[in-house]
Order: sequence, then C-alpha cells, then structure tokens
Amino acid sequence: MNAKKWMIMFVCCLLSLPVLLAGLNFVVDPFGVFGHFTWYSFSETLNPRVGKTEYLEEHWDDYDSYVVGCSSTSSYSVEELNAYLDASFYNLIMYGADMEDVEKTVAYLLENDTVRYLFLNVYVDNGISIGGGEDDLTLKLHEKVSGASPLSFYGGYLMADPNYAMDKLEAMAKDTWLPQTFDVFDEATGVYDKRARDVENISDMERYVAAYPVFADYPVYPTELAATERCMESVAAIRDMCAAAGTELIVACAPVYGEYLNSFSDGDLAAFYTALGQVTDYWDFTYSSVSWEPRYFYDGTHFRNAVGTMALAKIFGNDDVYIPEDFGAYVTAETAADHAAALTNRGGGQDDSGYTREVPILMYHHLSEEGGTDINISTAAFEDQMRALRDGGYTAVTFDDLYAYVEHGTELPEKPVLITFDDGYESNYTLAWPILERYGMKATIFAIGVSIGKDTYKDTGAAIIPHFSLEQAAEMVDSGVISVQTHTYDMHQAAEYETGPVREGVLQMAGESEADYMAAFRADLETAKAQLEQGTGQAVTALAYPFGFSTTLSEALCRGEGIRATVTTESRGNTVIKGLPQCLYGMGRYTVTEISGAELLALLEG
Amino acid sequence: MSFTSLSFLIFLGAVAAAYYLVPRRWQWGLLLLASYGFYCWGGGRTVAYLLFTTLTTYLAGLLLGKLNRRAKALPPEERKAGQARLRRGKRWAALGACLLNFGMLYLLKYWPFTAEVVESAAGISLYVPDLLMPVGVSYFIFQAVGYVIDCYRGKYEPERNVGKYALFLSFFPQVVQGPISRYDQLSPQLLGEHPLSWDNLKYGIQLAMWGYFKKLVIAERVGVMVNTVFASYWDYPGSILAAAVLGYSIQLYCDFSGGIDITRGAAQMLGIDLAENFRRPLFARSLTEFWRRWHITLGAWMRDYLFYPLALSKPFRRLGNFARRHFKGTVGKIFATSMATFVVYFVIGIWHGANFRYIAFGFYNGALITAGLLLEPFFVKLRQRLPIRWEGKGWHLVQMARTALIVFAGRYITRAPRLLAALYMLKETVVSFHPGRLLDGTLLTLGVTGFDYAVVVLGMAVVLGVEWYQERGGHARQWLERQNAFVQWLGIMVPLLAIILLGAVGQNYVGAEFIYAQF
Amino acid sequence: MEELLKLLNETCPGIDFAGSDALIDDGILDSLDIVTIVSALMDAYDVTISVDDLVPENFNSVGAMLSLIEGLQG
Repeated sequence: MNAKKWMIMFVCCLLSLPVLLAGLNFVVDPFGVFGHFTWYSFSETLNPRVGKTEYLEEHWDDYDSYVVGCSSTSSYSVEELNAYLDASFYNLIMYGADMEDVEKTVAYLLENDTVRYLFLNVYVDNGISIGGGEDDLTLKLHEKVSGASPLSFYGGYLMADPNYAMDKLEAMAKDTWLPQTFDVFDEATGVYDKRARDVENISDMERYVAAYPVFADYPVYPTELAATERCMESVAAIRDMCAAAGTELIVACAPVYGEYLNSFSDGDLAAFYTALGQVTDYWDFTYSSVSWEPRYFYDGTHFRNAVGTMALAKIFGNDDVYIPEDFGAYVTAETAADHAAALTNRGGGQDDSGYTREVPILMYHHLSEEGGTDINISTAAFEDQMRALRDGGYTAVTFDDLYAYVEHGTELPEKPVLITFDDGYESNYTLAWPILERYGMKATIFAIGVSIGKDTYKDTGAAIIPHFSLEQAAEMVDSGVISVQTHTYDMHQAAEYETGPVREGVLQMAGESEADYMAAFRADLETAKAQLEQGTGQAVTALAYPFGFSTTLSEALCRGEGIRATVTTESRGNTVIKGLPQCLYGMGRYTVTEISGAELLALLEG
Repeated sequence: MSFTSLSFLIFLGAVAAAYYLVPRRWQWGLLLLASYGFYCWGGGRTVAYLLFTTLTTYLAGLLLGKLNRRAKALPPEERKAGQARLRRGKRWAALGACLLNFGMLYLLKYWPFTAEVVESAAGISLYVPDLLMPVGVSYFIFQAVGYVIDCYRGKYEPERNVGKYALFLSFFPQVVQGPISRYDQLSPQLLGEHPLSWDNLKYGIQLAMWGYFKKLVIAERVGVMVNTVFASYWDYPGSILAAAVLGYSIQLYCDFSGGIDITRGAAQMLGIDLAENFRRPLFARSLTEFWRRWHITLGAWMRDYLFYPLALSKPFRRLGNFARRHFKGTVGKIFATSMATFVVYFVIGIWHGANFRYIAFGFYNGALITAGLLLEPFFVKLRQRLPIRWEGKGWHLVQMARTALIVFAGRYITRAPRLLAALYMLKETVVSFHPGRLLDGTLLTLGVTGFDYAVVVLGMAVVLGVEWYQERGGHARQWLERQNAFVQWLGIMVPLLAIILLGAVGQNYVGAEFIYAQF
Repeated sequence: MEELLKLLNETCPGIDFAGSDALIDDGILDSLDIVTIVSALMDAYDVTISVDDLVPENFNSVGAMLSLIEGLQG
C-alpha cells in the first residue's frame, strides 16, 4: 500500500484504541457498573461505594436495615443484629469514605428502600478529613448516590486504566473459596470476609506481637481532628433524615486501639465526643480495657468481629455473652462532656490475668502394661502421672469448660489441664478410663471414625491395635469422665495399607480441585459427626488433626461445620482469652511419653 | 516537555499539521516559533542561556566571515602581511566565542565539582551560585562552537539572518539530547521548503514508535530493577550486581537510542533528515569501533574539532618527531597520535559529567584504546603465529563478546553513585559472584516481576533481531513496506498496544491486590 | 607519484593505496591513518596541511593527495 493509505490506517488504529479500551472495560467490567461478569466481591474491593450500590440496586428486597460508616464498621455482625432486632441487615462498610459520603449514602438508602433500622458507626478518624475523592475511580460515589452526571460517570469507567480489567481476569483465574486481597467482601452481608482471620490461632501475647509487629512499635503521628464540625453536621443530617423517614437510628462509636488515641490531642478528642453527644445519643466503645489488648484487634486500627459481638451484646443487653466490665457506655447530651473528659484522662495498659488463662493440653495415644514407645506408654507411668496431677492441684477440664470460658467468661479452675487421647484405642477403655476415674481426672478421646470397633485396617485385613467400639464409647461418655470427639472419619490414612491415592491427614491432594476437596472434607466430617453423635448422644464440637496437618482452609471448613475447637501436634501451651472463641482453633499439645509424674509436673510448670 | 508525555505528542502533531498547512516560505519560521516555545515550556527562563550562545556565536560567525572575505580580497602584494594580521583577528573572534561559551558550560556544569575538589583538597570554600541547568546545554554549545570553528576555517559563509541561525541551534527534536549536527548539513534542510510527503510522515512515525517502544517498554521497565540495586548495592552479591549493570546497559541503550529515534522520527515527519547517532553498537568488534557506533555525532565532533587540530598541531608534531627518534618501529610512528587519541577519549569522558567517575571513565576508554593502538603490531605478529581463522564468524563473535565485556565493565564506573562504589562493585562481581543467587528468587525482590523480566528479554530479542537484519544491510521500514496489508496493520497495532499496555501505567492506578491494603 | 606511493606504504603498511580511489569513503583509511599520513606528508614535502584540507576529496586516492601537495607547494 502507499504511504497515504498507511497514514489513514495509522490514524484509524489510533482512533480504535479508545474504542478497544472502552470495549475491554465494558465487557470485563472490573468495577461492576455495566453488569457483566458480575463479581460483587471483586468490584466492591476496588470501590465499595460503587460496587455495593450496584449490588443493592439488584437486591433491595432482601434488606430492610443497614449498618453504615467508614473504618471499623465491618465488625458488627449482620446475623447478630438480625437476631436481636428481627430485621434484615446489610453492612454498608465503605473504606476510604468520610461522613459526607455516608450522609449521601443514607439519603440514597432512604429514598430507595423502607429502612427500619439504621446502625451508624462513628470512628474517631471521621474527624480528620471530609470531602474530596470525587475524581478517583476507586473513591468516587455512584452517580445514583452523588447525583453526578451519568455520562461522566460511565464515561470515566469506560476509559478506566486497562490494568483493572486485566487484574479482574487474573483474579478470576486464581480465585479461591477463602478471600484473597482482591475480593475482601462477603457479598450477601456486606462485611469483610474474615473467614481466614477468624480461625487463626491466637494464644500468648508474644506470639501475637511477633506475627503483628505493629503492636510492638506502634507508630504515633500527631493528627488534627480538623473536620469534627463538618462531620457532626453530616451526622445531624443523618439523624434528621432518619427521623423524617421513621427509621430508628442507633449510633455507636467503635473501639479504638489505645496507642492510636495518642495520635490526637486531648482537646480534639474532647471536642469530638462532646460534639457527637450534642447531635445524638450514642453508645461509646472507644476506650476501655479492650483498647489495650492487641489480640482484640486485626491490626493497628480495626477491632475484631468477636469484639463487635461484645459491643452488640452490650447494646442489646445480652448477658450470655462475655463483656468486660468497663466496655461500653451510653452517652447522652447531658453526660457527653463528662464522658469526653474521662476519655482524655485515660490511663495506660493493664495486665491480662483477669481475662486470660494458660491451658496446657496433654496428648496420649495407647496404653499397655509394658509401654515402651512415645505413643504407647505403660499404665504404671500413666498412673504415676495422674497421681502427680491430682497431688499437684491440677484440675482436668473439658472442651465444654473452655467454651464457657471464652464465650460467657465462666471462670476456669486454678490449674487447668486438658487430657486428650488420639485414635481411640481399646486400651483407653480398658486401662486409661479406670485410672482417670480413680484420680478424679477427665479426658477427651479423638476417635478415628473408620476404625471404631475394629482391629484391622479398614477392609484390608491388615492387623492394627484394636480400637474401642461405639457401645464402649457410649459407656465412657455416660460416666461423665470421658468425652469422645473426632479425629476425622477416614482422613487418618496410613500409606502402607492404602491402595488408591493417599491423603496426607486432612490436606488437599495434588491435582484435587478446591471444590472436590471441600466436598470430600465436609462429607467426611458429616459422617464422623453422625456416627459419634448417634452412638454416644454427645455433640461433636472438637477435632484433632491427623498427624497435626492443618491449613487455613481446613480450619475455616471446620468452623463452618460447627467445630469450635481444633488441636494439633505442635508442642506448646495455650492461652485462652475471654471473648475470643477463635483462640480454641489450632491449639498446641504436649506429647506425654514414658516420663514420671514429677517430670510431667516439671514440664507443665517450666 | 518530556518526549514520553502526552503533551509532546499533541505538540508534535500540531506542529506537523501546521507545518504542512502554512505557506512553504513560513515553514522555517514556524519551526523557530515551535522550537522556542518548546524550550520555554520545558526550561522556562533558562532559555536565556540558549539565547546567549546563539547571539555570541552568530556574531562571531559574522565577524569571521567578514575577515575571511577581506583576506580573499587582499591584493597579492599585501597577502602575506594582511593574512597574518587577519588571522590574528580571526583567532580573537573564534577564541572569544569559544571561551564565552565553554566558560558558561564550565560554570554551569563543572564549577560545583571544581569547588568541591578545592574544598576537600585545600579547605578553601568557593562560591557556587545556585544555577538551573539549561536543557541540552552540552549539545547546543558544542553544535554552536562547531559552527564557529567551521566559519573560522572558511568552510561556508556564515548565516546572516539571526532567526535562521537561531533555528539551527534550537530545533526542538534535537535540542534535548542531540544529535550534534553540522550547519551545512542541517540548515539547508531546516530552511528549505517541504511539500507534504506521505512517505516521510510514515517513516517518521514508524521510527518514533520504535523509539517509544525501546524507551517505554524496555528502558523504563528494567530501570526499576537497576535503581533498586544501585540504591543499596552493598546488600547484593556480585552476580546480582552484574545483572543490574547488564540491566543498566540495556536501559541506557534503549533509553538513549530510543530517544534519538523519537528525535529523528519527529524530524523526518517534517521532512528533515538528522544524522544517525547509533549504529548497532552491540555489533562492534573493538572499543574503537564501538565509539564509531555509539553517540556517533559526538565522536565525529571530537574528531573534527579536537583530534585533528590537536594531532596536527606543532606541539604534537614535535612530540611525534621525538617519538620516532627514540622509540622503535610502529610505536615511535604512532606515539603522538596515540597520545592525542587518549586526550580525545578523556574529553569524551568528562563531557558526560563533572565528577571523578567520568574522569575515570575517560581514562578507562582512553587507556584501553591507546594501549590497543600501541600494541597493534604485537597483535599482528601474534595473529600470524596462531592457526585461527581470523576472518571467520567465530572470531567475529569473540571480538563482539570481548568488546561487549569491556563496555560492560565501563558501565560500572558511570552508573555507580561514586567512583569508590564502582570499584567495590567491580571487585564484588569478580571475587564474590555467587551465581546461585541468580536463581534463588532474589531477582524478583528488586521491584520487578517475572513478567517484567520476560518483557525486557523479549523486547531486547526483537531489538537485536531487527538490528541483526540491519547489520546485514536490510532496511526494516522498507521490509515492512513489502509485506501485505495485514502484516502492516499488525506493524501498527502491535507496537501501539505494546507501548500502551506494557509501557504506560495510569497515573492513579493501584493494583486490585493493593487497594485494600491502603486502609 | 611513485615517491608518494612509496612514502605512503612506509607510513601505513598493509594498505593498498593504488588499488582504490575511495580510500576515505570506503573506510579504508581511518582518522588515525589520516593524521599519520598528513604528518608524514608535511615533513616530507615541507607543506602545511591544515584541518580544512582534511576532506575526502583530498585523500580518496593517491592522485588526489598528490594534487593537494602540489597545490600547497605552488
């Protein structure tokens, strides 16, 4: 072709580029504004304001109440609010928003839905800045909320950086059940998907601070609360809009980590909390003993879902849930000034002895007259150990005792110890049970479902140490001394006896898809629970991981199936914390071998 | 206005469009306007320096032309005396212009360094004014001085029109980073009338796209990794340092030659042919040949205005005679020119910048080339003894590799933050290389991903492929022309998409993986 | 002419001066060769060759060089 034609082709190519870009953004739709490849969690992560608005536009009928706010709003559980108020809540947490954005969003909600309850979360950061962010695709409000021109709104997203669309395609390829950094929201409830963070093991402070070093060296940058006045104006506007629409408004101030409060001057803090009180009554959880406990926080500024449970329990007067004594106060216009003054006169940290306990767990397997190996100890040694525990003032506890401690704050005995047996050998029934009874001890046995009542490996005929039967288990449970929990049904496979593909503990097998793995895991757990619950009449709530192998996914699956405690083979003690049920996941256990009672006491004390 | 900004593209498009719409007599005036507009946009008040150079050298040129004409017009009997007197006058004019301009260059570029050295050596604190470095000062001053010297030599008549002369120095595609042009090659083109040529537009756009590809897709990308390593070079073992220097070599070549391609492409769009500045330097078989393929116009300037005058000057000829008497054989014959060569490369070194690194760089190149010259007869004898096919492809490749290695080592000196750092890095590369560290994932911690490396490698493969074709005599744009329409369309879309997707990242783009982490 | 050729061969051995009339244009002589030749010519013929004479036309062939020298002598 000649050069002139080439030039025309070149110009056409140039002009085609924006068209291609628009096409890419229209079809792949990373921000979810065009309704293609709908993936709410992804688009909400890129821009929660736009993503959630698009979601609600399709789902108004599902909700009649909303949680609104900026930082820290996610940790108020929608399920709990629904139970307390018999309503249908959606949590509209939008990070990067300010109170003005919340005000506009509330106006939008009231216009489009009949809102029974509005739960407004106020965080001290709301006083730092307000306004702005309308140019950024990741920060702007939806045109339906802000009233911006639809042409410029949709035009902006048509011309978005192509990297967003590429990110979405990449994310679609590597998406998993558990959340990753690109899909942090739970679609149906609007909260952050914390399924992974809510099963991580939490125990002693040292371990936690090592994992989250921000608490060791907390950065404090002096920050001015320059936007307090305008923030409260928006809150007042929200209050008036709710009153006009007949919506009941509940206002709560989120718990703030103690060190973070030091970023603000006393004057600013006093002004903020007093001003809020002038506008509306509110529940204040900002500062209490909770504010000094790093383990109650996901990171330097966001409090955990478990703390949100405490806050809601306080608001709705639920005495069943453990709430620290100084946590939460109802503040009115009259009491606001004094309350704010108390905040500025706050003290420092405190020790955690009032709400934490050390609970070591002992792990046994098989007993016999001779003993001799790590998993097969002699009855003489075992008896010596039990005697030493009794004489040493130790009280054996059960998992139910631990649940009561973390959920209701029911105190534990002075020197608790949890005794466990793995696999469910008949020797537990014949040899261990009598000894436990004799010395007033209790134990939990984790039985391998497929081996209950057997002395051969599944259907191979290969001989194994005999396991007790379901009837024998029921007997032990009825006595009140033993609890029988699960060591999985058939995920404790021994490679030398298996013929097909072998699963290592509960781990996903190579080449197995995530969906297949999850189905297999759930099915196994269901079978194990059904077998034991029907056989013993006792609920199955605890699981011991075969060989100690576990992953975040397996923990999340367990929690989803109603397992409230899991144990591993990691040789360490455990710190249980009131109000934090997740500290019962991934607990460590000491393997007890052929040692004397005195040596066992030394192990526990040292 | 950076070449890689959208505003430059719009500017270029506007100038090109206006260029072919205005009456042809006004084209040079439009270019002058556009060039000064371009300079003021980017440099603001530093345009004063450009004006200073323009005016001083313009006046010097006029004066030299007048003196030359007078010399020619002298009647024969007055010739000897008159010429001597006029030559003195010419000397003053030329020297004056050179001193003023090189003096200005020295003040801007080399004075702070001088003051530093004096301070640390003698403790005397000299006044260093805080001056903004004008864009392209090293280039337009040399171009202007070249013009003055040409006028002194009577090579051509000086330019009478100050505006036309100003355009020669300020022509916007080349004012930033060259090439350093000669008045008699560039000015007629600038001042001539250019009818619209679709071919020129096309070739120019293609060349510019090639430049953008090299700059945005390769140089910018590998530059991230280079900067990371050099910022804390003490943290890395020799192999990573070597990888970073390799990356720097790639970055420097793609950035500089890419910028030149954009320059020449833009000029070609306007029907103006600027001199080549790079001719596939990787294929050089000796360091000398390398400097004839890299930054060609600088080397040519040095040859015509420094080397010849120096080598043919009385002191050097006396040195030559001395050497011929006292040293045997070829060494004696070429001693003086070798010394002149050394001086030239030293000057090339410090032309780049004012610090010990560039002095060392000058020494490095000068020493190696001079040593090569002096040892050449020895190598000739050696070659005759060894039974190797010296004309074969194998030896050519060895020569290319050897040259590449020498140039590679030189890059340590210019990129390291200080000369001592460069020496340290060179030592580390040799003494504690640790090749295993190249495979253990360290390379992925330098701010670039595996994908980035793949893009750089692939990009360089394309560049080398095209250059290999060119080395064998092919012309890439003409090859493209001969293909069918689909391939030609690919030849537009693929580079455009590569430049946009792999080159430019949006201003406020934060990856989906990192958005949540901000809060 | 033969004298000049002999001088050239002495100064720069290994170059076929007689065989080409594009010694500069074809890159057979490089800048170092030129300077060496010019120095030798200046000494041998007692002429002053200035830098402006260093153009391809004057050095592309032996004949051209001869013309240059004769021009400077006369």
